[in-house]
Amino acid sequence: MNKIYFIAKKELLSNFKSPMAYIVLLLTISIFNIFFFMIIEQNREVSLQDVFQTMEFMFVFLVPLLTMRLLSQEKSSGTMEFLMTAPLSNSAIVLGKYLGILVFFSMIIAMTGIYFVIIEFFGQPDRLTTLSGFFGIWLEGAFFIAIGLMTSSWTQNQIVAAMSCYAILFALYFSISFTPYVSGPIEVFIQQLSTLKHLENFVAGIINPSDFIYYFSGIGLCLIITRISIENRLLKV
Amino acid sequence: MIISDNVCKTYGHFQALSNVSFEIKKGEIVGFLGKNGAGKTSLMRILTTYLPATSGQVFIDGLDVAKHSQKVRQKIGYLPETPPLYTDMSVRDYLRFAAEIKDVAAKQRRRQIDKVLSQCQLEQVQRKTISTLSKGYKQRVGIAQAIIHEPQLLILDEPTSGLDPIQNLQVRKLIQDLNYDRTVIFSSHTLAEIEQVAERVLMIKSGEIIVDESLQSLLNKNQPCDSLEDIFIQYHSKESMA
Repeated sequence: MNKIYFIAKKELLSNFKSPMAYIVLLLTISIFNIFFFMIIEQNREVSLQDVFQTMEFMFVFLVPLLTMRLLSQEKSSGTMEFLMTAPLSNSAIVLGKYLGILVFFSMIIAMTGIYFVIIEFFGQPDRLTTLSGFFGIWLEGAFFIAIGLMTSSWTQNQIVAAMSCYAILFALYFSISFTPYVSGPIEVFIQQLSTLKHLENFVAGIINPSDFIYYFSGIGLCLIITRISIENRLLKV
Repeated sequence: MIISDNVCKTYGHFQALSNVSFEIKKGEIVGFLGKNGAGKTSLMRILTTYLPATSGQVFIDGLDVAKHSQKVRQKIGYLPETPPLYTDMSVRDYLRFAAEIKDVAAKQRRRQIDKVLSQCQLEQVQRKTISTLSKGYKQRVGIAQAIIHEPQLLILDEPTSGLDPIQNLQVRKLIQDLNYDRTVIFSSHTLAEIEQVAERVLMIKSGEIIVDESLQSLLNKNQPCDSLEDIFIQYHSKESMA
């Protein structure tokens, strides 16, 4: 457990040693702010529903940039050999990396908490619905990050890692657009696969166990594949 | 300390190691010798648990590396061919991280870091970012991380590769000092270096051990050759002629 913490701490701190983290934070918050004020101005509602959906769309583009270096850089720089000859389990490496970047992502979400304060100031928003929306967007980000970590374990090349992550996120995000062309079980499958559909419930304040299962099983599956991918790479070297 | 029993390693159809067997006693300094692609790095990676052997067994301090990899890793310090450094970290932060993940007790961490900084003569650069250091210093940081947890066995893959003569001398001296209470295995292309540091030589050719002898007996046996370099060339030219 301690070792997971040490890797996560190192991962989190390394984000702030390069300008990348600051640029990502600044850009993300600036873009979110612009959309927040545009949406509030247009809707004239004390609700963050549309803001959450915009954030989700932005995360499809942001998360691969955050995760692309996680394991691919370890491989290309040779530090993977350092980690994998230290008395560490592969699971500790994967979980440490994951938690480190998840904390960084949570900081982005925490910064958007100011929107809640602003709408509280101007009206009486449904607090539980808003909190459920924040939780949903955080959970979705956690899922996206697990996908990014997984694709980062597949290659030494950060660009390839990012592009693979984009491909999966786009497929999950836009899959709902294909439902008019299919019917029956395939339609249901695509609906269940779509991240859009699952976040909708959280944003509307509906806490549905199937959404939890979707996100947590997705995160679990990606982390398991990441672990297997590290082990398989060893066999191939 | 180390028992290698008929270790084989294949990558697809390529046989990198075939039936490699040897025994290394505690406290020995052993030089691995061989041309590029001979199998030195594969063998070192198997010893460090980084790679699994295709067949055969390796025991370190009585533990099977395939079955007890975590325990074995606590006994090993490893410097790969390319020092595994997080170049955005300072030397001290990097060694702290290495100490944390290598089970150095929290109370002893600071003392242990100070000790290896002193052993590797890194005190002056401990606050510097690793990316700003010279190659010689980076190599020493790599060695420092390998010894931070006081391993019984130190495995160094070409520790002096790419260093200038002065840096080379310093690293060589460091390796000799580190042998005080531990077993050291190191590989090098610089035969004079192996001659000066190692007590015993394991020569690997095409994945097979062709020489496993103490340096002195090897030199005695191969008279009139008066250096390891001559012996190395002799062994390899014999093979290529055959």
